[in-house]
Amino acid sequence: MKVNQDKCIGCGICVPYCPAFAISMVNGKAYIDEEMCFECGNCGRPRVVRCPTSAFEESEGVAVIPRKIRKFFSDPTISDAVTKVPGRGTEESKTNDVTGKVSHGEFGIGIEMGRPCHGTTLHQVEQMTRALAELNIEFEDCNPVYHLMEDPSKGTFPDEIKDERMVSCIIEFSAKEEKLEAVMDVIKRVANDLDTVFSLDLIYRFDDEGNIPIIQKLNDMGILVRKNAKVNLGMGRPMVKD
Amino acid sequence: MTHSLHRRGSEESLENDYIILVTAAYGYNHEGARDKLLQVLDVVFEAEPDNLGSNETGTIYSGVTLEEIKENLTDVPRVRCCFASKEKMFQVIKKINEMDLGLSVVISGLIDNVVDMANELDLKPHSVNLSLEVWGNVDSLPPEDILEVVTMCGHGLVASGLVEKYIEDVSIGKITPRKAAEKVSHPCVCGFFNPDRAEKIFEKYAPQ
Repeated sequence: MKVNQDKCIGCGICVPYCPAFAISMVNGKAYIDEEMCFECGNCGRPRVVRCPTSAFEESEGVAVIPRKIRKFFSDPTISDAVTKVPGRGTEESKTNDVTGKVSHGEFGIGIEMGRPCHGTTLHQVEQMTRALAELNIEFEDCNPVYHLMEDPSKGTFPDEIKDERMVSCIIEFSAKEEKLEAVMDVIKRVANDLDTVFSLDLIYRFDDEGNIPIIQKLNDMGILVRKNAKVNLGMGRPMVKD
Repeated sequence: MTHSLHRRGSEESLENDYIILVTAAYGYNHEGARDKLLQVLDVVFEAEPDNLGSNETGTIYSGVTLEEIKENLTDVPRVRCCFASKEKMFQVIKKINEMDLGLSVVISGLIDNVVDMANELDLKPHSVNLSLEVWGNVDSLPPEDILEVVTMCGHGLVASGLVEKYIEDVSIGKITPRKAAEKVSHPCVCGFFNPDRAEKIFEKYAPQ
């Protein structure tokens, strides 16, 4: 986004709304550092910032790669042309009762790079994907991050898009349960070297008794599991067959 | 998208924090889902959710009406909203179950409470998306109170700087905790932000 300097009256109400801390006041007018900007669109939404002079405008180049990538992963009002899922877009556990992407004996992982508060670049995403690729992970192809990869088998991205910053994007894959420890070891190792944060999701099937036995395994590995989660109630039809 | 996951806070503060998401799976059962979702929207709205919105429009707190949300449903539509009451949440699940629409229903909340609600309706929970916390450069994150507020918007649109500003405004009596909670909810376009929980957090900073 950018600020039309002729329209800006310098009231400054927009400044605290920017999750990228990209807006500042320069010579009495709001100014957006376009390198820092996520292109989330917050500042330009008339029902959010409510800029009295509608001074926010789209950046040049936001409709084309590479800058388009920022908007796509940061603005939830955009849907992916391939997945048809809004925003950073993945189906993860939401429709697992119908799609069966994660079956018994498997686990799914979502690594939400940049979340919360910091955002991420694709350089940082690649730190994680390259390390995971060494485990012969197959990244989820119904996920927009996959389609940005130069070589999904190596977890690499083209150089020309690596500097793009975004609120968050999700590295997603599923694997057999016997790989759990190896996957977590890689994630822990990369986490120690990262200059950003990520929120970690693990998708799993309830067992026939309605339990989630992987929680104990994770605890044994020293990994905390929060008491709140997303539960798919199994109401989707046709229900996937095991 | 996993934006109702990773909400931070104590078990006590999450006790009355539920998100429902009803959706079709693209390529599996999305055809004809739009009309079913419109029925679900009516059920949800009758139950008086504590927040309701859509990516296409924004939320009821930012001035959007149910009619606008309905008119803007996409071909792979989703109904999503926030309830600050377990009982209300239960009644909505019960009604949607009776409608037998075949759409996937996901509830975010304390796992034990959600499973209890499912058991009471003879539903067999299928899958879970667990939150394994935040990793990486966590020392650079803002304080926990701010994280509790910003993580109610999983799209990351509620800026930590905005929460800090309203904590300051509440602490000097410039704005009430309720008003601050509603103001901070505006960037969350999908309706997952729980203003009741945010109000309780802001209350801690109000002058005595």
